[in-house]
Amino acid sequence: MGLRSWFGDRLPVSGQQFRELTNEPVPYHLKRWWFALGGTPAYLFIVQIFTGILLAFYYEASPTTAYESVEYITREVSFGWYIRSVHKWAATLMIVAVILHQIRVFFTGAYRKPREINWIVGMCLLFATLMTGFTGYSLVYEQLSFWGATVGANIADSLPFVGTFMKRMMLAGDAYNQSTLSRFFILHAAVLPVTIIMLLVVHISIIRLQGVTEFKFQDEEEGVKKTFNFFPDHLYTEILIGLVLMVVLSALATILPATLGPEANPLQTPEVIKPEWFFYVAFRWLKLFSGTAAILSMGFIVFVMFGWPFIDGWIRKNTRFKEASVWIGICGVLIIIGLTLWEAFAKH
Amino acid sequence: MSDDSKPDGHSPAEDPDRRGFIKNTSRVAMTAGIVGGYGGFAAIAGRYLYPSRTGEVMWQFVSEVAGIDVGEAIRYKGPSGETINITRMARDGGSDDFIALSSTCPHLGCQVRWEAQNDRFFCPCHNGVFDPSGVATAGPPGEAGQTLPRYELKVEGGMLHIAVPPPQFAEGEAEPKHQAGIIEGEESISGPGHDPCLGGGDGGRNA
Repeated sequence: MGLRSWFGDRLPVSGQQFRELTNEPVPYHLKRWWFALGGTPAYLFIVQIFTGILLAFYYEASPTTAYESVEYITREVSFGWYIRSVHKWAATLMIVAVILHQIRVFFTGAYRKPREINWIVGMCLLFATLMTGFTGYSLVYEQLSFWGATVGANIADSLPFVGTFMKRMMLAGDAYNQSTLSRFFILHAAVLPVTIIMLLVVHISIIRLQGVTEFKFQDEEEGVKKTFNFFPDHLYTEILIGLVLMVVLSALATILPATLGPEANPLQTPEVIKPEWFFYVAFRWLKLFSGTAAILSMGFIVFVMFGWPFIDGWIRKNTRFKEASVWIGICGVLIIIGLTLWEAFAKH
Repeated sequence: MSDDSKPDGHSPAEDPDRRGFIKNTSRVAMTAGIVGGYGGFAAIAGRYLYPSRTGEVMWQFVSEVAGIDVGEAIRYKGPSGETINITRMARDGGSDDFIALSSTCPHLGCQVRWEAQNDRFFCPCHNGVFDPSGVATAGPPGEAGQTLPRYELKVEGGMLHIAVPPPQFAEGEAEPKHQAGIIEGEESISGPGHDPCLGGGDGGRNA
């Protein structure tokens, strides 16, 4: 009692105030994982911060030492293979969860007025996550990650007006050099995580301000309470999902641990070069079209993705195709899956 | 009435025009201060991060002219790490005998490899194809009309020299330096003149 009153004197927040702060009404459909997918990447992000800090204790971001340090973490450090593998798999699952979350938001129309801004914040989070994945993979400094980084920087170079500036900023020069890895490391371990945290704060604040989208389901009973409290109900759900994810991550890390390919050789591009799976779409796209056309068309698609709430609003207001977004979304998902599989199975 | 009162009886502090002027001026001054101060700092930070580029080239010795036969190719690595395929096409004794092509694909920066059986350079990243003179004939670089960048060469006293960018870092700044010179061994097999069917496992270099 003494300790409680000691804190109470210094932090004058009553139990009632705390309950008001945390009792965000959460619609019942969020009991289903499919509708609560936003919490999954947030949890995995925490795992990434924790395992990333552990990896940074041994990692050395220099071309002469990077590969060796990753090899040391994987082969010598106690449970180094496990930490590295969990980091790798959590990154993979985080990207999967972000994409699934976005697909759910898209197909349920949860981006529509007044939630357009939060869709744009979500898109920024998607690209920040992909950039974190790209820079993280480059840090391994194996052949594929080196050439993936080189290709990635040159993709930036193809952008009109700002391309060369972006490439030189990314590589710290005209080509991959000994300062490049430290840039990728700082981006991966400081700039991008801080950006993600800031975007998450905005994303969650807007959700709190606007409330979660409520849906009407066909099998819904009339007159039944439609919401439950965030604390403790939804928090328990998230903790449960977190525990399941930890088991999944440990299983994946043990059964399919992170491997290490041959060390980067700037003189020799491997016979078959592929980026991480989440860039297969872009990589195949680059093979289908010539340089600038591929980059500009990709830029246009990204622009449409960012502005989709407004485009969809215009379509719904001015045409009779009120549910065009569903069919466009289905086509988009099929094209993404198709190009990803094509790149995955094609040799060149 | 105070000394600084106006004849109309309003003190300066009560004059709405004057108060508005001071308010607006303060806002502009504050905005200018914030934009100028932090903007200036951001500009300095941006310039600090943006790598400097001199655009200079330096002449580097490659090999004795007599050490490279007609049809033979060598692979050369410049002081800033770029790799260059140098092929001898004629025996006139001048720099026009040679062609020096970057081995970096102009599409997305991968290293092209020489395919003797097809008489072409091939880029494994996006299936780019270049003829022996470096002109793209297929793949994304072909569609974009790109060529492999050429380097200037000169011959002085029977010695072949090449114009290449200087090292990225000043002396003593960072390790390791790229050691400029001819690439020996397996990685040197990369230019017209090398035909694995005809031997030449030394990468076509027999000097």
